[in-house]
Amino acid sequence: MKGTLNLVGFGLSAIGPAIATGMIFAAYISGVARQPEARSVLQPIAFLGFALAEALALFGLVLAFVL
Amino acid sequence: MKQEENAAWSIFGYLLSGLLFWGGAGWALDHWLNTRYFLLGGLLLGTGASIYVIWLRFGRQ
Amino acid sequence: MRTLHLLRADGEGFVPPSTNDFNLPPVFGNNEYTTKPILLVFLSVILISVFFILASRKAAIVPSKLQFAGESIYGFVRNDLARDNIGHEFMRFVPYLFTLFTFILTNNIFGIVPLLQFPAMSHVSFPYVLAIFTFITFHYIGIRKQGVVKYFKDIMFMPGVPKAAYILLTPLELATFFIVRPLTLSLRLFANMFAGHLLLLVFILGGDHLLKGVIGLKLISPFAFAFGIGLTFFEFMVQCLQAYIFTLLTALYIAGALADEH
Repeated sequence: MKGTLNLVGFGLSAIGPAIATGMIFAAYISGVARQPEARSVLQPIAFLGFALAEALALFGLVLAFVL
Repeated sequence: MKQEENAAWSIFGYLLSGLLFWGGAGWALDHWLNTRYFLLGGLLLGTGASIYVIWLRFGRQ
Repeated sequence: MRTLHLLRADGEGFVPPSTNDFNLPPVFGNNEYTTKPILLVFLSVILISVFFILASRKAAIVPSKLQFAGESIYGFVRNDLARDNIGHEFMRFVPYLFTLFTFILTNNIFGIVPLLQFPAMSHVSFPYVLAIFTFITFHYIGIRKQGVVKYFKDIMFMPGVPKAAYILLTPLELATFFIVRPLTLSLRLFANMFAGHLLLLVFILGGDHLLKGVIGLKLISPFAFAFGIGLTFFEFMVQCLQAYIFTLLTALYIAGALADEH
C-alpha cells in the first residue's frame, strides 16, 4: 500500500472545523427559531464564524497538497 | 432559508479562490526565487483577503 | 490490516479497487466510442424522453399515476429551484434547469441500478461539460442583461472599499467568478460520484474476497455485504442530493447574474 501521511493529517485536522461548523449552525438555527426577529443580527455573526472555521479546513486541504 | 444557503456556498467559493489565487502566487514566487516563505505568506494573505470579502458581502448589517 | 496479512498468507492477495476500475473497456469490439459510460448517457437520454413523453401525452385534470410522477418532478424544479431562487423571470430558465436536473439525477441513479451500476458522472469529463454549459449560460445572461462593462465592473469593483484594497480583492473576485465557480461545480459532482462508486466497490469486492478466505473470514463477509447494502441506500441519498445541488447552484448563479447589484 502506498500513500502519503499528509492526507491522514488533513483528515484529522478536518474534524475540528467540521464540528465547529455544525455547532455554529446549530446555535444559529436554534437562536433564530427562538427569536425570529434576531435573524438579521445573528446572520452576519454566524457567517463570519462559518467563514473562519471553513478557512481553517481549506488551509489544511491546501497544505496537505503543497507540503 | 434560500439566503443562508446561497451565502454558505458563496463563502466556500470565496475562501477557495482566495487560497488558490494568492497561495498560487506565493507558490510561483517560491518556485521562481527558490525560497520557502512566500507560499505561507500567500496563503495567509489569501485567507485574509477572502475573509475581508466575506465580511464586506455578508458580515455588514 | 490483519485480514490483509491473513489473506496474503493464503497466497491470494486482495486487489483494492482503484481508478483503473473506472476505465471500462469498449462494449462493442474495439470502438472506443462505445464504452459503458457513453452508452449509459445515451440510455439515460432515451429513458428521460420516453418517460416524460408518456407522462405528458395524455394530460388530464385528474392525473394518472405516471402524469403525477412527471408533474411532481417538474413542479419541484420549477417551484422550489427556479421560482424561489431566480424570481419573476424564472420561466425562461426552467427548461435548462429541468434538463440538467433530470439528466444528472438519472445518470447518478444508474450507479445503484442493478446490472448498470455505473454513475457516468464519475468520469470527470461529463461534469466538466455540464459546468461549462452553466458557466456560459450565467455569464451570457449577465452580460446581456447589464452590458459588458457594467457586468465586469460589478464583479471586479465592490462599492464601499478603500482603493488600495482592490489590488487584493479584484483578482479574488475574478478567480471566484471565472475559475472557482465552474471548477467546484463540476468537481463536487464528480468527486461525490467517484467516491461513492469506489466505496461500494470496496465493500462488495471485499465481502466477495472474504467469502473465499478461511472459515473465520467467511463469517465476517456478511457484515461487509450488509454494509455494502446500507451504503447503497446512502449512495441513493447522495446521488439525489448532488443532482439537486448542481441544479440549485446553477439557479443561484443565474439569479446572481440577473440581479442588478452583486
